[in-house]
Amino acid sequence: MGPRRNEINTLDNTTLRSSPLFISSPVEFLLSPRRIVLKMQQGEGSETQVTWEDQQNINKFGRLNNRYHELEEEIKVAKEANENLEDASNELILSDEDVLRFQIGEVFAHVPSEEVESRLEKMKEDAAKELQRLEEEKESVLAQMAELKKILYGKFKDSINLEED
Amino acid sequence: MEVSASASTAAVTERRGIPAASFVEDVEAYLKQSGLDVNSSLGFLQERLQQYKIVEMKLLAQQRDLQAKIPDIEKCLDVVAMLETKKAAEEALITDFEVAEGIYARTKIEDHNSVCLWLGANVMLEYSLEEAKSLLEKNLENAKASLEVLVGDLQFLRDQVTITQVTVARVYNWDVHQRRIKQAVKESKS
Repeated sequence: MGPRRNEINTLDNTTLRSSPLFISSPVEFLLSPRRIVLKMQQGEGSETQVTWEDQQNINKFGRLNNRYHELEEEIKVAKEANENLEDASNELILSDEDVLRFQIGEVFAHVPSEEVESRLEKMKEDAAKELQRLEEEKESVLAQMAELKKILYGKFKDSINLEED
Repeated sequence: MEVSASASTAAVTERRGIPAASFVEDVEAYLKQSGLDVNSSLGFLQERLQQYKIVEMKLLAQQRDLQAKIPDIEKCLDVVAMLETKKAAEEALITDFEVAEGIYARTKIEDHNSVCLWLGANVMLEYSLEEAKSLLEKNLENAKASLEVLVGDLQFLRDQVTITQVTVARVYNWDVHQRRIKQAVKESKS
């Protein structure tokens, strides 16, 4: 079931019709599940060649974009974890029991409160470090994406669109 | 990735059953070489994209499974570690655990010498603490390694998808470009 003459199926299953002579809209397709649109538009007559290096840059940009979205999700989860640990340690300060039920795996072990406190501190430290590591990776990914955008826009100008919907 | 300018294929021709998309240096040469007209070649590329999509779904499902499995193994390791410390201190471990949904029972674990591990397929084996720990650690390592390979596969796959999409656009644009030239020639003659 290939495309009929003068029709092109894009990846989101819309069809662009064109007469043999004139394209009314550019060919669009999704660069990533997150809907970055890579539009390669009809040039005025000159065709910018796509070299292997350009292709690699486009690939890298797509990969970075995916990683960026994954990181956003992971950062959200890490922030929640940090908050939960904060709440837990606040509760700990308020409570005055000697033995608390501390969740390990699926069970709640009875643990003396000093040990709970030290465990909680360690968990908070780890969670904070993890969050910081994720934030730093996000910054680096964004910086690399900005660099690639400069390069790709420089070569292709209007024929390429690297923004998100 | 240094690839010579004259090569029109990627450095790998396939990875674990996923065919690589060959990069097209020049659209005209590519069409001549494959002997296909524009529509057939576009059809072929679209088909390739569908195949890639199917593989991507499969890999994503595998990735989700692994990502759920790893925290589970880590939790098991925590429990084993807890038992070890209690054993060293020669104290009993008092825990509340779930007997049924929402119902918890208090237990006192005095014999810390062995644990039972669920191996899957309705099989559960008893292990000493050290054996259990090393088995769990091995499982964890394997899971993490598999996940890494899987992520690599997904990245490779997405690159191939991108290359194919760009090729589709270029072939299409080239075709339109050709038609425009022909039309211009026709108009100048008439």
